[in-house]
Amino acid sequence: MAYSDKVLDHYNNPRNVGSLDKKSSNVGTGMVGAPECGDVMKLQIQVNDESGIIEDAKFKTFGCGSAIASSSLATEWLKGKTVDEALRIKNTDIVNELALPPVKIHCSVLAEDAIKAAISDYRNKQGVAQAA
Amino acid sequence: MSSPDFYQFLGIPRRLALDPKELETRLYSLSRKLHPDLFARKSAAEQSKALDDSALLNDAFRTLRDPVKRAEYVLKAEGFDIGEQSTKDVPPELLEEVFELNMALEELRMGDDDAREQLEISRTTFVNMRDEIDVETQSKFAEWDASGERSVLAEIRALLNRRKYIANLIDKANVPDRV
Repeated sequence: MAYSDKVLDHYNNPRNVGSLDKKSSNVGTGMVGAPECGDVMKLQIQVNDESGIIEDAKFKTFGCGSAIASSSLATEWLKGKTVDEALRIKNTDIVNELALPPVKIHCSVLAEDAIKAAISDYRNKQGVAQAA
Repeated sequence: MSSPDFYQFLGIPRRLALDPKELETRLYSLSRKLHPDLFARKSAAEQSKALDDSALLNDAFRTLRDPVKRAEYVLKAEGFDIGEQSTKDVPPELLEEVFELNMALEELRMGDDDAREQLEISRTTFVNMRDEIDVETQSKFAEWDASGERSVLAEIRALLNRRKYIANLIDKANVPDRV
């Protein structure tokens, strides 16, 4: 099975690899994983206190090319969005953008879960009631 | 032809918490009965039966001696699917540890020898987790022996899944000193 060009691009030149200050009150951290295949994904967002816009996003993923590409793409999309807009990113958007084959759809699900986990962590820190 | 039940074959009660000594005693006494010398004057059919029984005895002993294999054997016999690993058996707190382990392994690959310290911390954490699981499994063994409740077997299966996952992590963290 061949990876799409977009997956390869993100895999070879991952965007926004790294980490943000986990303890900062305007940073949300999402750690998700698929233990059966050993993938672990950490995704972090930094939200501007005044505008509520995600001004930075970082990730570090241990996993297959599709998992890395999915999280790399997710950080690209997150930057410049409000938290509410970010919540509307769906795994299917990632699947379409990266042309992921059916066996790799779980990688995009992981990325969506990571976004949600990061936002939920951010909101907890901000003391805002978590959306159900 | 399905192979006979190991417990029945060894003549011991169907319990998960087995006394290894009892098992060994059964092994020795059955081995003596199946010794080839005793069958030297018997028919070819009887000799071949004794040979089959010896192989079965070895299988049964090796399976029941090991607590994990023993539990898997019983679970399988009770209709549990032991092959498939379920994600929900792995606690989310573990992710953080898995992440740290992967980080350390990557740093080590990049030539950073300081990562060995983190690797050792990870390894110790996982070994402790495995030991805790083993203690819990032993108590579940006793619980099933006493109650025969199917729900206890389901708990044992979840414990075994977690154990397998953690054992893989220990393997990963066991990096040779110099590569």
